[in-house]
Amino acid sequence: MRGGSDDETVVLPAAVEAPGRPVAGPAAGRASDETVALRVTGQASDETVALRIAGKASDETVALRVADQASDETVVLPAGGGTPDRPLSRPGPRHRREPTKQSTADGVRVVLGLTGELLITMGLVVLLFVVYEVFVTDWMSAGKQRDATTTLDQQWSDPVVAPADPGNERTEKFHPGDGEGFAKLYIPAFGSDFVFTVLEGTTERILESGPGHYRGTAFPGEPGNFAVAGHRVGKGAPFNDLDLLQSCDALVVETQQNWAVYRVLPMREEVAGWATGRGTDPRCAGVRPLGGRYTGVVGRKIVLPSQSGVIAPIPDRPDLALDSVPPADRAALITLTTCHPRFSAAKRLVLHGVFVKGYPKDPANPDARPPELTEG
Amino acid sequence: MYALIWRLLPGPFAAKLAGAVLLIAAVLALLFFVVFPWVEPRLPFNDVTAS
Repeated sequence: MRGGSDDETVVLPAAVEAPGRPVAGPAAGRASDETVALRVTGQASDETVALRIAGKASDETVALRVADQASDETVVLPAGGGTPDRPLSRPGPRHRREPTKQSTADGVRVVLGLTGELLITMGLVVLLFVVYEVFVTDWMSAGKQRDATTTLDQQWSDPVVAPADPGNERTEKFHPGDGEGFAKLYIPAFGSDFVFTVLEGTTERILESGPGHYRGTAFPGEPGNFAVAGHRVGKGAPFNDLDLLQSCDALVVETQQNWAVYRVLPMREEVAGWATGRGTDPRCAGVRPLGGRYTGVVGRKIVLPSQSGVIAPIPDRPDLALDSVPPADRAALITLTTCHPRFSAAKRLVLHGVFVKGYPKDPANPDARPPELTEG
Repeated sequence: MYALIWRLLPGPFAAKLAGAVLLIAAVLALLFFVVFPWVEPRLPFNDVTAS
């Protein structure tokens, strides 16, 4: 309702019961359900104008809509019904009925409304953060992984850095810089398109681009423990489904000169009856429960984040150097670590695999790929 | 708060709607590309290493 600067018109739907009820103002005398327009002297500021309307004999509230001059909000005032003898009282220039209660109520309403809106907004921000973690980082990391793969492919196809003695995996040397890709990890059980470029280092920034190789641990094909960390949820989630891998599933690592095929070690419950049980599976050729110093190293386990022994050359025996094992007994292992449970960082899911077979890359046949890649 | 923002947007309803959409997109971009990447390393949700 917009009025003049000092006049407000107030439109009231007022049920006027009996024709005889006196209704003061210019519309005095209207006898039915008509809107009654009253001229009310308004104020320069945004005061609400309280009116009392003579209504029915009982305490009926008559809802009024009064335009507040300062804002476009309409304020609904309950108006107590008067008695037949009390005429409509026309408010004076600065007249207010119960001013304190009204403005306090208004203040409370504004504060509550604002608080409510702020709380909802904060809740939405938290929700958006979850969306960010689960979806947006996947999209961002896909680009970073793509860049890392492109860089690595260019490096591998560059004839200048071709090694002098290709094909001998014992002599392939690795000197990747921090954050540099140096190998590709394929997990055929997850599909033929599952491949990630592995980068050197395990800082947060590096892990955003793809799985990271724990610095100081062995490289693919070497005796020791080739340990790799990867995100479970978000940032591309390379290791999301590690809990679905079974013993003897292939983990194929491609380097510039070699293919190294690892297979997941037997699970704890499979160790006892391996020779007659799972071990008879043709896929499990070359896989058997490890003994000697490696006793207890199984395919998958859940550990606390502080248990860094899982990436030691002999897992869970960080006190032992690889030299303490005779060269013939040294195993070349692969270890993959990620979060556990899926959406938490409370623990780590650790997967161990053992080196089973190596395929040197033949320069005459560059597109040859190991048959293990199509295992599925 | 939101009513105030709506009121402050200029123009008829359609223009206000477009302005609101633009504001939301700007806030989302700010959150996803500036605020969340800054906050995220400071939260303990994403450690995957054994150390």
